[in-house]
Amino acid sequence: MLKILIEKEIRDIIGSTKFVITFAVCAVLVLLSFYSGAANYTNARAQYEAAQRENLLRYEGTTDWESVDNMRALLPPEPLAALVAGVSNDIGGTIEVEARGELQAEGSKYAQEPVLASFRLLDLEFLFQVILSLFAIMLGYDAISGEKERGTLRLTFANAVSRATFIMGKLLGSLAALILPLLGAIALGCIILVLFQMPLSGQDWGRLVLIIFTGLLYCSVFLALAVMVSALTHRSSSSFLMLLVIWVAAVMIVPRASVLLAGRAVEVPTMDEIGSQKTAYSAQLWQEDRKKITGFTSTKTGDIQAIMDELNEFMSSIADERDRKMKEFAGRLNEERSNRLRQRQALALAFARLSPAASLSLAMSTLAGTSLGTENNFLSSASAYQQTFADFVEEKNGGIAGGRMVRVKISSGEEEPSATPVNLQEIPAFTYAPIPLSAAFTAAVVDMGLLVLLTMVFFAVAWIGFMRYDLR
Amino acid sequence: MSEKQTPDSVIRLEAVGLTKRYEDGVLALDHISFSVAAGQIYAMLGGNGAGKTTTINLFLNLIEPTEGEARINGIVTHKEPLKAKKNVAFVSENVMLYGNFTALQNLEFFSRIGGKTAYTRDDFRDILLRVGLPATVHHKRLKEYSKGMRQKCGIAIAIAKSAPAILLDEPTAGLDPKAGYDFLRLLETLRNEGKAILMSTHDIFRAKEVADVVAIMDSGRIIMQQPATALVGQDLENLYMHHMAGRTAALRQEQASC
Amino acid sequence: MFGTLVHKEVRAILLSPKFVATFAVCSLLILLSVYIGIREYQAAVRQYQTALQLNEQTIRQTPDLMRLQTKAFREPDPMQIFVSGVIYDVGRWVPISTNAVPQLSGSTYAEDTIFAVFRVIDFAFIIQVVLSLFAILFTFDAVSGEREDGTLRLVFANAVPRATYLSAKCAGAWLGLAVPLVIPILLSLLMVMVAGVPLDVSHWMRLAALGGLSFLLFTFFIMLGVLFSTLTRRPSISFLLSPSAWVVLVMIIPRAGTTAAAQIAPVPSAAEVAGIRDGYAKERQDQFIKDLTKSMSEVGSCGSTLSMKTHDSLRSEADRDIAQNDARVNEGVRNKRAVQERLAFSLARVSPAAAYHLAAMTIAGSDPDLKDRYEEAATVNREEFRKFVEKKGSEGGPQGIRIMASSETGLKIDMPREMGAIDQAELPRFNPPKFGLENALAEVIIDIAVMLLGSILAFGGAFAFFLRYDVR
Repeated sequence: MLKILIEKEIRDIIGSTKFVITFAVCAVLVLLSFYSGAANYTNARAQYEAAQRENLLRYEGTTDWESVDNMRALLPPEPLAALVAGVSNDIGGTIEVEARGELQAEGSKYAQEPVLASFRLLDLEFLFQVILSLFAIMLGYDAISGEKERGTLRLTFANAVSRATFIMGKLLGSLAALILPLLGAIALGCIILVLFQMPLSGQDWGRLVLIIFTGLLYCSVFLALAVMVSALTHRSSSSFLMLLVIWVAAVMIVPRASVLLAGRAVEVPTMDEIGSQKTAYSAQLWQEDRKKITGFTSTKTGDIQAIMDELNEFMSSIADERDRKMKEFAGRLNEERSNRLRQRQALALAFARLSPAASLSLAMSTLAGTSLGTENNFLSSASAYQQTFADFVEEKNGGIAGGRMVRVKISSGEEEPSATPVNLQEIPAFTYAPIPLSAAFTAAVVDMGLLVLLTMVFFAVAWIGFMRYDLR
Repeated sequence: MSEKQTPDSVIRLEAVGLTKRYEDGVLALDHISFSVAAGQIYAMLGGNGAGKTTTINLFLNLIEPTEGEARINGIVTHKEPLKAKKNVAFVSENVMLYGNFTALQNLEFFSRIGGKTAYTRDDFRDILLRVGLPATVHHKRLKEYSKGMRQKCGIAIAIAKSAPAILLDEPTAGLDPKAGYDFLRLLETLRNEGKAILMSTHDIFRAKEVADVVAIMDSGRIIMQQPATALVGQDLENLYMHHMAGRTAALRQEQASC
Repeated sequence: MFGTLVHKEVRAILLSPKFVATFAVCSLLILLSVYIGIREYQAAVRQYQTALQLNEQTIRQTPDLMRLQTKAFREPDPMQIFVSGVIYDVGRWVPISTNAVPQLSGSTYAEDTIFAVFRVIDFAFIIQVVLSLFAILFTFDAVSGEREDGTLRLVFANAVPRATYLSAKCAGAWLGLAVPLVIPILLSLLMVMVAGVPLDVSHWMRLAALGGLSFLLFTFFIMLGVLFSTLTRRPSISFLLSPSAWVVLVMIIPRAGTTAAAQIAPVPSAAEVAGIRDGYAKERQDQFIKDLTKSMSEVGSCGSTLSMKTHDSLRSEADRDIAQNDARVNEGVRNKRAVQERLAFSLARVSPAAAYHLAAMTIAGSDPDLKDRYEEAATVNREEFRKFVEKKGSEGGPQGIRIMASSETGLKIDMPREMGAIDQAELPRFNPPKFGLENALAEVIIDIAVMLLGSILAFGGAFAFFLRYDVR
């Protein structure tokens, strides 16, 4: 019996005009988003490589390693970030790495290209969050009330059909009618990825599968919701109106409003305040060191080179000391700020998660490696790189890790012999370690669970509602 | 309604060689001609697709005739539709009206677009009472009305327009016997006031009871037209069934010859 | 006749349960968005004022001219309450110093990424996304619904011209839907005034313009709905068409347009541009060192005042060249960005919804060009600042640490002079860019034209279809 009902449901939906129109729109959009993801990636890759080239090119012709005092750590474009942008365009993609000093991610894509920020970009997450949820609602809004209006409900229940079987068949059938064609479109989209030769590793494919699975879970939430509302109302027009209001609230309003309202409830020291404190402290340290510097006397006489070396060593040592103090001070401030930020985030997201759209967005971006944690991850990769770079600089500059205050060339008056340029390829390269799939999955599992839970709750309410439904 | 009695001879509704062929080639109406005089009820009988509704639509100029013309008060409807429509009221089959409006609001709106702006609230109440809607339901929204009540409201709208001609499209479809009976009495009073009434119906018994002239239509043609007086003694039902049976037999033949 | 029809239309709308629901939702959302907008604005003002103070303090603590730098802050504008545009994407301040590139930094979204996850909710967003949806859903069955109910036949049984009927439909829908929205809009303005947000005449004029734009967009969607209702015989078909059209117009075209523009006309990434700038700066710096060494050896005696003067003049020459090169490079990037912007917005403007968004941003001054406007103003300020430092330096003599090394006398380090506290009042003032209402209006004429044209086409289409509409 259930099988007959499911079959009927699938046939009914797939044969309907509404399915044909909406599915055509969605299929085109799925393909469009995969295509634009692939094209975005290619583009981002080119930008990244150009920036990487410039990173070295600026030192071309340099003859001494002392000039090579900073490198830029660039966040490499990830194929999945092109499909699920998350916050990847909002966080800084560049970190200036010097042997010493604080690291800060700068130059976010949207800050650099506000044109793109004005509408944001088209990606897979947006497609699921906004379009496919609407699609799910349009498929399910008249699941029960529509059959009642057409009179088929009475006809069906003139047979030996139990209500439980009917509602079960309704949900499973419409779910299958929604998901199966969608999977077809997504499979085509994956072919696009292959054709564009996106460098997706095995793990990336795993992530992609999980991302799509999350998206389908989200669709099922809205489908269950639609069936639920249609089982609680008797007219499909009122069912649709209610669903539309819920959809607007869940997708457009709740995530945004809750983050803005709850987020502001936790005071976080602004970057200006932190920055100003740091500047003040650094000025104070410098003031202290000024005295030390002016008090410096060389133990050596005669050989300028030796004197300069001694001076540089001294400068380096006080700079090291300054850096240590600064790091400690900044670390304290940063820690305080990031604790506050974590609190803010926890509160804001707890409220946002009232909406499945927020869960979807968070789970997808976590799986794609474009979540809120990405910036910290980038910073810690850069921090490891800073150590490597400092060691490298120290080795090249004879034990001094930068902070050399003096770069006066000592010339004996004759023309200098042309020095050979340094080999820039020796500079260690920055490598970004993305959050591993297992960790990402663990982080996303809460949100995926929430989606499953919501589907079940909606379905249960639909079930109960239908048990008491007036079939006439 | 204090309309002057008009002599029986005045033709209010007239079809002259009225023909309608739809874009898909279906000949819905094939050169029909008839006329309805003031104080006369003309009933068109016929099965689904016989052309009854098409005839009414042509009188309302909702579609344009392929050939011939429909005249209301002598005005050719497809030439001067707006002028013609001032002289006709219409009650449709299974009227929905505006579900969120009350009976009074519906009546008010339709009277005003019918050109009757002088009515007062009390006039509307009187009309509603006249068609048999008690004062208690005047302020109810139409979507809470039963089919019979909606139909009464539709007739009230037609009465309020006080046009000399009234078109009725399946007015008794789906009404219970009591409502049907009330409706026919109402039609009789309207006739006695001198209205020319053109009515399409499936309902042979009611047609026989109330109509002055009965026409039987089939496949866009009037195959029989007789004054009701001539029908006395004849069994209209038999006649109707005879024609319908002839049609089905013809259809069978056609199919067989295919 | 017209009056009667309009009256009926308005009454039908006001009496429908769908009106009650949508009006309540829209009013609530408008008020919510403005409430959130006010809070965000107040937070921004607080942050701005603190930042100003901190900056002043930092300047006072700056020990010497070489380390002197200030920031030009972007003052929050009350218009951001209604249209936040890209203000959270682009930075809040521009660093002004002799060697810092004048670029907007400290974007709110980069610093507080949590707010970037779901982005903002503001008045323009509510109008563009929520109200447009409700507008189209109100009129999608304007004609086909009446046909299905049979009232259309009843109406046309009377002497009603079709043109009058359709015009009355549109006018009635407009009056019944748009005019009630004046209530929440007025309430929200009241809220803004009660909150003590400083609004001057120009703001009121901008708000009036924004209101006009909003009603224009609303008109477009009402007309579009009417058009769909005249295209189909059955409301169930236009019911599918209208949300699909809405999705395409509001969600897809703007995003697809910008996404395509990003791919067709890419702008070099921040890191790449920085690399290019650095390349020149490094080279010029090396040149400076060479020049310095050369002039010193020419003079022969290290440490003379003369050489310090030379040092300063060479230094400021280098600074000037680097600043000019930065300006040149930035100009190039700006031009590329302008190309991208033109392309993105031309593509997006196919949709009147996008045109509305762009126009609203421009009127509110929170459009992407904001970045260029500020950076241009800051470039001017940087030049003034550089001259100021140059002048100040030449008045007070050399700055920084002076190291004298000589094979005869050994090493001598001194800091010639403690610079007295610098008063911010002395610094060249940053003149925020002016973006007058007349400029803004000139820019949005095209958007207004797009919306008007859209409305006229939709109305004209509806008219043409309705004249041939089968009212049976």
